[in-house]
Amino acid sequence: MKYSVLFIASILIVAVFIAGCTQQPATQQPSTTQGVIKVGVIASLTGPASNVGTNMWQSAQVAADKINSEGGVTLKDGSKAQIRLIVGDDESTQQGGQKAATKLITDDKVDILVGGYSSAVTSSYQQTIAEYKIPYIVTGASSPIITHRTDIDTSYIFHHCPTTDTYGQYTTMFIDQVVRPEVNKKLGAPAARPFRLAMLYQDTAFGKGVQSAVNNTITTGKLNIQLVSQQSYRMGESDFRTPLTAIKAANPDAVYLAAFPNEGAPIITQARRDIGLNTIFLNVENNDNAQFYKDLGQYGEGAIIESRFSPYVAPVGAVADAQNEFKQSYFARFGTFPDMMGASTYEGIFIAAQATKNAGTTDKVAVRQELIALNMPQVIEAMKDQTCSFSPDFRESTFDLWMEQLSYNATLGETRPLIVWPDNLKTTDFVLPSWYVAGSSP
Amino acid sequence: MDNLGVFLQIIFWGLYAGCIYILLATGLNLIFGVMKIVNFAHGEFLMIGAYITATIFFISGINPYLIILLSMLALIGIGAVIERFCFRPILGTGKLNEIFLSIGLIYIFQNGAAIIWTDEWQSVKSPYDGISLPFGSLSVPLDYILIMFFTAAIICGLYLFLKKTTIGMQMRATSQNRKGAMLVGIDVERIDVISFGLGCALAAAAGTLWIVSGQIFNPYMGSIPAIKAFAIIILGGLGSIPGAIIGGLLMGLAENGAAFLLGGIWKDAISFVILIIVLVVRPTGLFGEKGD
Amino acid sequence: MHFKKDEMVKYGTVLALVIAITIPFATDSMFILNLLVLMLIFIIFASAWNLLAFSGQGSLGHAAFFGIGAYASTLIAANSGMSPFITIFLGAAVAAFVGILIGLTCVRLKEWFLAMVTFGFAIIVQTLTVSVLAPITGGWDGIASSRLLSPSIPGYQLIEYYAVLLITIASVAAIWYIMKTRIGLAFLAIRENELEARAAGIDPVRYRLLAFALSAYLAGVAGALQIHHIGYLTPELYGVDNSFWPVTYVILGGLGTLAGPIVGTIALTIIWEGLKSTGLTFGRYVIVGVMLILAIIFLPRGLVSLPEQVQGWLKRRKRKEPPSGTG
Repeated sequence: MKYSVLFIASILIVAVFIAGCTQQPATQQPSTTQGVIKVGVIASLTGPASNVGTNMWQSAQVAADKINSEGGVTLKDGSKAQIRLIVGDDESTQQGGQKAATKLITDDKVDILVGGYSSAVTSSYQQTIAEYKIPYIVTGASSPIITHRTDIDTSYIFHHCPTTDTYGQYTTMFIDQVVRPEVNKKLGAPAARPFRLAMLYQDTAFGKGVQSAVNNTITTGKLNIQLVSQQSYRMGESDFRTPLTAIKAANPDAVYLAAFPNEGAPIITQARRDIGLNTIFLNVENNDNAQFYKDLGQYGEGAIIESRFSPYVAPVGAVADAQNEFKQSYFARFGTFPDMMGASTYEGIFIAAQATKNAGTTDKVAVRQELIALNMPQVIEAMKDQTCSFSPDFRESTFDLWMEQLSYNATLGETRPLIVWPDNLKTTDFVLPSWYVAGSSP
Repeated sequence: MDNLGVFLQIIFWGLYAGCIYILLATGLNLIFGVMKIVNFAHGEFLMIGAYITATIFFISGINPYLIILLSMLALIGIGAVIERFCFRPILGTGKLNEIFLSIGLIYIFQNGAAIIWTDEWQSVKSPYDGISLPFGSLSVPLDYILIMFFTAAIICGLYLFLKKTTIGMQMRATSQNRKGAMLVGIDVERIDVISFGLGCALAAAAGTLWIVSGQIFNPYMGSIPAIKAFAIIILGGLGSIPGAIIGGLLMGLAENGAAFLLGGIWKDAISFVILIIVLVVRPTGLFGEKGD
Repeated sequence: MHFKKDEMVKYGTVLALVIAITIPFATDSMFILNLLVLMLIFIIFASAWNLLAFSGQGSLGHAAFFGIGAYASTLIAANSGMSPFITIFLGAAVAAFVGILIGLTCVRLKEWFLAMVTFGFAIIVQTLTVSVLAPITGGWDGIASSRLLSPSIPGYQLIEYYAVLLITIASVAAIWYIMKTRIGLAFLAIRENELEARAAGIDPVRYRLLAFALSAYLAGVAGALQIHHIGYLTPELYGVDNSFWPVTYVILGGLGTLAGPIVGTIALTIIWEGLKSTGLTFGRYVIVGVMLILAIIFLPRGLVSLPEQVQGWLKRRKRKEPPSGTG
């Protein structure tokens, strides 16, 4: 007992000592170091979102390595500056996010910030961004609120990933233009037949954002789509049979899922295997990762994923090569493959480098001006007009999203995607699987 | 599908989900009965059990239903170590200290697992995936029937162990009267180790069955089932096995009913609304004993 | 050197106050200042939880009061235009009111039953916030919360730190006063033996509710302070993390003591941030977990009992060892 007290005391002392010592290296380099652009990366390295956060941070490292190995960023005075990344772990919590952002901005004195995953976490430090006027390229948070907030100055915040508004709109358009005619053809029904769409969404800012986007798109476009059932579940749920039963009772033509990959795969499996809901499932882009295909197995057949970066497919052309190169360098370094939050973070670093290069300096006002005026060729993901630029109103990037349909590959025991929409990217046509059962009015 | 079919199906899924909770709740009750402690980190044993099964399966490709025994044995060992070095030193120092210790264990297990097995979601494919049996008007995946069978077998085995073996009888004696048990010469500390180990083994069985049925898993998977199992044994009355079973069924029905009628967000909240109502009427739970 | 206990407490308090007041001058890091503000807020929160535990009621759902205080204060400030410095205390009153309601359902419950019911309340309150109350709370999207002080005021971070420090000192002093009066003695009597307390003419139900109200009030103050400091409010505030943190801080520091929550919060914050700056990710949770377990096994009365333990140990060692022995 007595020795144990000393033992505890010494542990605490050592811990405090470590704390004191390790605080040093972070601030060792003076903030005015010539030839270095300090890029802060805010990512969830721990907590429930750690797998996404790790992917973002590792992708940022791959991007920085590539830029640095090609000589770095040329500044106004002709000198070459290297990118130096500093990571801030937001611990998937609001307090963590606030601490990480303050540390990067005030202690590490970064020139520009990239990253940010959960909208709830990101919103907790936006006021710090506004206050210190640091350009921040958000590459993970999907809520449009991030740049639409009016209570603080968001003019330094740039949103480089599609928002829930975008996914909802694209997918609803796809349903209207492609799925609805196919179903009518199969039924031999007139074009006036309303399409019966059901939704199953995660009850969070993400899921509700998609849900309201779908509703808005249908209303504003006066689309011939009827929402026959809208069910929700709590984040982290694993048993979806009850909402799926309710959806089946509504006889839908297709089901749109606003879910995370760890929910989307069980939903489709339970729907097809346990409920016998043999319909088309439409998924949000974040499901497009290797694990999703593995978890889904045979049940993924016929499903649709709205996507912008996939482990198994790329739109033909220059983008495909760039994506492969990124995947390979990522794999060479970390032994796994990047997902789409990683891809947009990778681009975020390139955008930060380009804006700094255009400004010729790390001065924050100048860099922000260059971000507003940004017009650089797309990096690895397909962008609208093949260029990365931010919209003048809310500083959001516009991605060229696509729809892919999964088909079963018996030798792999998994499904693989093929792009079926839009016309300029597609490699095959959307088809209704042979087992597909269309909905009907009860 | 007729309404009766839907009703049968919902009951069937409730039973299947209930199996996981019954195994977890029985384990918690076993430990509580003997040691009068509740381990808030019980879900982490479910997670470790699942990962052990998955690892052996990925390496050897043995039928995961057979690995369940290995996983349970491993967790008896891990549980015994945790009991001996973590819970025994704080036995009798207050409930809040147990919660505190559990928080420490949750940190260690969740993040230790993330270091060993990474934090990515993973899945195990059952060899019977895709096989369904006709069962009256419904067709039921074979895996679900196997899970119910395994749960029933494990619970029956536990019952026989408690009734027929010397150690089982000593465990029951200790849980009825700890001091009395010590007086008649039972080594209660040994009984503590065994009960804790068995409780953890039941969690490992739950974890194995959970992932074999097609649930995907990561190091944080244990928290939600553990909290639910915990709410169930509180609802049923601490230490009462029939209470745990009836509590589990009640919550299963209430959760699914609430998700259907009020929306999915109410699924967790409704369990606690029921828990609160029951406890206001009966402060020791449905089948809990009156007393201190 | 040998101090008497009350001398040590006196000097310790003075020293702590001096450090707290001078620390902003020792660092020019805004990160550390921000960290200190968050730490002070958690000292209030942990102290609030401790007050309830002092009356024998361990809550696992204090995030409910933390969140209600934050929402109420934010909404009052937004609709009335009052300064957050006023609405913090009004919002906390709402938390106290809800605390009494929750306390009423809990008066007959003990230990695990109480813990589970309070835990459930945090989930129920969160569910209500995002469903029925969504039109006023903003649902999952959350709402903006007015700042304690406008960033346009020069040196506002410093003023904010001292304002939060003042509220923290006032809260701790209030708890110290409560514990000293008849109320504190009644809490203690109920915790130790309810029957005897009843025999001595103490109404346990009344005092239990009072403990709930006071604790919820201070937790509400802490929640409101944090959210006015951060500037944006989302329902994640009701998360399990926020319910478990005060338990960890208080028991690490020393349950039922005035200094416990303060010592525990400071110690864990330093350890946590220290480990974080080494770049460890999952590893730092494992290390903290091991430390927590060692602490509860070897220092069951918390870090505040460390000096006593060490003194006792030194005494015993002196007595046992012969003068010539070297061990």
